[in-house]
Amino acid sequence: MRKLQFFIPLALFLGLAVFLFSGLFSNPRDHGSALVTQPMPQFSLPNLTEPSRLMTNADLKGKVYLLNVWGTWCATCNAELGFLTTLRQQGIEIIGLYYVQPPEAAFGERFDMTALQQEVSRKLAEQGDPYQFNMVDEKRSLIFDLGVTGAPETFLVDASGIIRHHLVGDINEQNWPALHTQYQALLAPAPAANSTAATDAKNNAGGQGE
Amino acid sequence: MIAELGHLALCFALAISLVLAIFPLYGSYKGAAGPVLLARPLAILLFLLTSVAFGALCYSFWSNDFTVLNVASNSNSMLPWYYRMTAVWGSHEGSMLLWVLMLSGWTAAVALLSNSLPLILQGRILGVLGIINVGFYGFVLLMSNPFERTLPFFPVDGRDLNPLLQDFGMIIHPPLLYMGYVGFAVSFAFAIAALLGGRFDSNWARWARPWTLAAWLFLTLGIMLGSWWAYNELGWGGWWFWDPVENASFMPWLVGTALLHSLAVTEKRGTFKSWTVLLAIAAFSLSLLGAFLVRSGVLVSVHSFAADPDRGLYLLAFLLVVVGGSLLLYALRMNAVRSQARYQLFSREVLLWSNNIFLLTATLVVFLGTLYPLVHKELGLGSISIGEPFFNQLFYYLTIPFALLLGVGPWVRWKQQQLHPLLAPFSYIAMIAVVLALGYQALAHDFATNLGLLGLLLGAWVAVSAVAETLLRIRQLGGGARAFWQLPASHWGMTLGHLGFAVLVIGVAMTKTYSVEKDVRMKIGEKVQFNQYSFTLSEVYALKGPNYGGQAAELEVYENGEKITHLHAEKRFYPVQKTVMTEAAVDAKLSRDLYVALGEELDGPSWALRIYVKPFVRWIWLGGLLMAFGALLALLDKRYRRKVTAEGVSHA
Repeated sequence: MRKLQFFIPLALFLGLAVFLFSGLFSNPRDHGSALVTQPMPQFSLPNLTEPSRLMTNADLKGKVYLLNVWGTWCATCNAELGFLTTLRQQGIEIIGLYYVQPPEAAFGERFDMTALQQEVSRKLAEQGDPYQFNMVDEKRSLIFDLGVTGAPETFLVDASGIIRHHLVGDINEQNWPALHTQYQALLAPAPAANSTAATDAKNNAGGQGE
Repeated sequence: MIAELGHLALCFALAISLVLAIFPLYGSYKGAAGPVLLARPLAILLFLLTSVAFGALCYSFWSNDFTVLNVASNSNSMLPWYYRMTAVWGSHEGSMLLWVLMLSGWTAAVALLSNSLPLILQGRILGVLGIINVGFYGFVLLMSNPFERTLPFFPVDGRDLNPLLQDFGMIIHPPLLYMGYVGFAVSFAFAIAALLGGRFDSNWARWARPWTLAAWLFLTLGIMLGSWWAYNELGWGGWWFWDPVENASFMPWLVGTALLHSLAVTEKRGTFKSWTVLLAIAAFSLSLLGAFLVRSGVLVSVHSFAADPDRGLYLLAFLLVVVGGSLLLYALRMNAVRSQARYQLFSREVLLWSNNIFLLTATLVVFLGTLYPLVHKELGLGSISIGEPFFNQLFYYLTIPFALLLGVGPWVRWKQQQLHPLLAPFSYIAMIAVVLALGYQALAHDFATNLGLLGLLLGAWVAVSAVAETLLRIRQLGGGARAFWQLPASHWGMTLGHLGFAVLVIGVAMTKTYSVEKDVRMKIGEKVQFNQYSFTLSEVYALKGPNYGGQAAELEVYENGEKITHLHAEKRFYPVQKTVMTEAAVDAKLSRDLYVALGEELDGPSWALRIYVKPFVRWIWLGGLLMAFGALLALLDKRYRRKVTAEGVSHA
């Protein structure tokens, strides 16, 4: 009996280890990438160049596109503009979602659409304009719904409005080939659907156990 | 280039730690001096190599080298230099590098200071530390390399350091905490070395004691600073949240405290051996468990790093080897050990044993509260969360008997104590404590039987008893200034430690009872009355920092119509990370804090403000400081140096 009592701590520890092990594979936190395979949230946002025109999900129906969250205040976004512009020249559809920097809105300084338009067009003239059009998310509602954690971030959306990929950080020569393959697969008709699912599964590995 | 140098140094360090894990243990197994003599230079080399690696990462942050992934994800060119330096350990990878730097630092310190220990024991201790080092260097290099490059496509600027971490408290909080966690590795190594050798004499306890004290000292300071940081930065005015990661640091602290007391018994009386060894294993195991919980993503917390099951798997495997292995060794070896000492029911041994029981029960409470949600979920019973009320209530019930016993403990002799000689001093102590507590409460507040009064009573009981016991000891030594200095430093350490606990208990109870909190909406020039204090919002203006913008509010504070202070609260916005941070304004005094946090701007224009008056909240941290200072004094006790040297000579 006395011999056995010294094994109690070991037994308790091994019991705990079993739970720790199984806990590893059930992630308690849902990540932003949980949006992948979900439909694009509903939105209705003003077009940057023509604010009276509201862009909605209907405007993008049937299109495969990249939704790029950016702002002129974000250094990495500015550096990304050049590369995105070369993508547009290759025929990639890129929609801009302009991230309005909160302090302007929240701290008394009125949000000024005209000033923003001037700043953006100056910046795009300088660095290149990759966008079909830009939407201004003044209240950051769509940005919230998308679970954006910073800028730049890019979402790949398919023709039926389903988000296929969520990329945090800039698009560059390193990560573009993989995203490009996925983009091409979405453009192609039905048979490619399986390979897309495979890519998704790969992207999700390590995220959550769906 | 510099980053590659750091990476290379880390690879060499892994190799060195492998050698350290094998040769000295082999040498002490075979009784060969040669391999054992290798241990000390290897340990020092290990530390030097790790310092080179750490220096290289510091340089990468300093020079804004965004080709290093870790720098790009955790720093920004607009970040001031001192936060660029703290960003070094702001990420998982960097903090692991800091962790191994400290582990190798402790290993080198053991190597340098263990001159007087028997050679075989040196080899065992450094060998066990070597095994732990291998585990962590392997983890750093395989799972979280801090020197990974972004080349050839590197970002123009970094994603910035999490603004929560941009605070002075954060500069020193993690290093202190890690020093504590890792320091328990030394106690652990001593315990394993003793298990391997099968010798648990009082020498062993005396050697292990200063190391345990040092680790406990750092852990105490680290936890206290973390609490202070949360109070200042999170803007909720709270100082402890029972967050899983806080709990992960609290568990080794509780077990470490029990270990300190149990080591005293083993040193002085040669008993409680199996208990002490188990506590030494437990303290380090809980540190490892904490590392696992924080870094595997098993639990959700404000503190946790990005979840990665691979890292978790590695750490779990390591945990199994180290903890499972040591507990197996414990089970196999401990049968042979017998305690020879005898003691009566009312003796210091039994009181220290009950101290351990209470501390371990507290650990169990924290452990269950932290891990039960996980177990519950894994059993398929759904998600639950265990919150503050559970912990608060159980700690409330545990603290009362614990504090009562603590008041008695230092007065009781080893082996056996007659009850009647203690009756007279304790009736005085009880009377003084009651008068002090009731007197203060009647003067400062209206008399009421509440938690605050209970805290004052318990605190006064512990404090008066500690002071009286020390005075008695001084008188026994002959009284006067000479006796004051003759009292051993470790005795002063104990007194201060217990006083610190008393101060902490008073702080917690008073803050919990008498804090007032108000959410108000204020316009410029408007006044809010709060007991005897009135707050006037005098100005709000835009803020422009190096890497943030935001708003600042100025408030004038009057007490009974007289202006006492001026408060400056900030709400910062960090554009790169898109995070809003509250920099609370605090006017601190020993007896109370005035705390203001600036909230949203509302129409009007007016602002939402959160105002607190928190009596005695400083006492919580003061208590922690006193305890840490007590540990420092005990560490400086001459006998750890003098006697160890003498023993060393006789063994050699």
